[in-house]
Amino acid sequence: MTGQREIRARLPHRFPMLLVDRLVDVVPGERLTALKAVTCNEPWYEKLGPDTPEEDFAYPPTLLVESWCQAAGVLATWDDPNPDVLQGQVMLFGGMTGVAFHRPVLPGEVLEHRVRLDRRVDDTVLFEGECRSAGEPVMTVERIVMAFRPASALRPDKT
Amino acid sequence: MNAASPLAGQVEVLPPSGESGTAARFTVDAAETVLPGHYPGFPIFPGVCLVECTHQGVLATAPDEAKGAALAAVESTRFTGPVFPGDVVDIDMTWKQTPAGDWQCRARLSTGRGPAATVRLRYTRRTAGEAAA
Repeated sequence: MTGQREIRARLPHRFPMLLVDRLVDVVPGERLTALKAVTCNEPWYEKLGPDTPEEDFAYPPTLLVESWCQAAGVLATWDDPNPDVLQGQVMLFGGMTGVAFHRPVLPGEVLEHRVRLDRRVDDTVLFEGECRSAGEPVMTVERIVMAFRPASALRPDKT
Repeated sequence: MNAASPLAGQVEVLPPSGESGTAARFTVDAAETVLPGHYPGFPIFPGVCLVECTHQGVLATAPDEAKGAALAAVESTRFTGPVFPGDVVDIDMTWKQTPAGDWQCRARLSTGRGPAATVRLRYTRRTAGEAAA
């Protein structure tokens, strides 16, 4: 079981965009399982009130993807983590294919991200897997692509 | 458009550029909620937020027949250029109904520096049974 101290030494993301709570299983170079607890105290819920329909409290699917990708990022950089986006090799989200949402996720649920490293080609890593809650899949991921680039490639004046 | 969303700002609906499409625009304000954590000292608009911009563009401009459908899948996305605070993201969307009756939206997102992303989303009408499954 690995907690926030370790996660924050591995990922550059911080509040409110650090969306991995705990690592429960890691096989470096192969697979990782991580937990993310969804809470109504995340800022996306700030403006919702008692008149908001229940379905509008669904965790944004795009953040479900982000959370899963952060778990993938921990796996991708397991042997060489870089929590600093200003130097070294940084991880960029290249794209995704076939990410399906099976049901809404609501505050109070604990998500289990299951990430498998499919292959690594040069500076690109491909992942697949799913996200489960209460024993059932809430999202399946056919493919997510992460690319490693020098931090300088991200600077606005270099694009 | 009151559902939980990582975006603090709202999309602005634009006149469509083509016959079968719709268009919207999102301005990335420096005060956007996600930016302090993505990343500290170096704010960059997350790729998933470009997908969210597209989703909000869909909610704002979907054809009447597609309104009320739920996001079922991100069929594909490619991120082709970084987006920073202050950028204005133009979202050009085209629409197609699938043989199964779902709605597919293909979007091209760009900023003043050029292409930012291509996004293909699929929307479906969930039955009560599926929603509870």
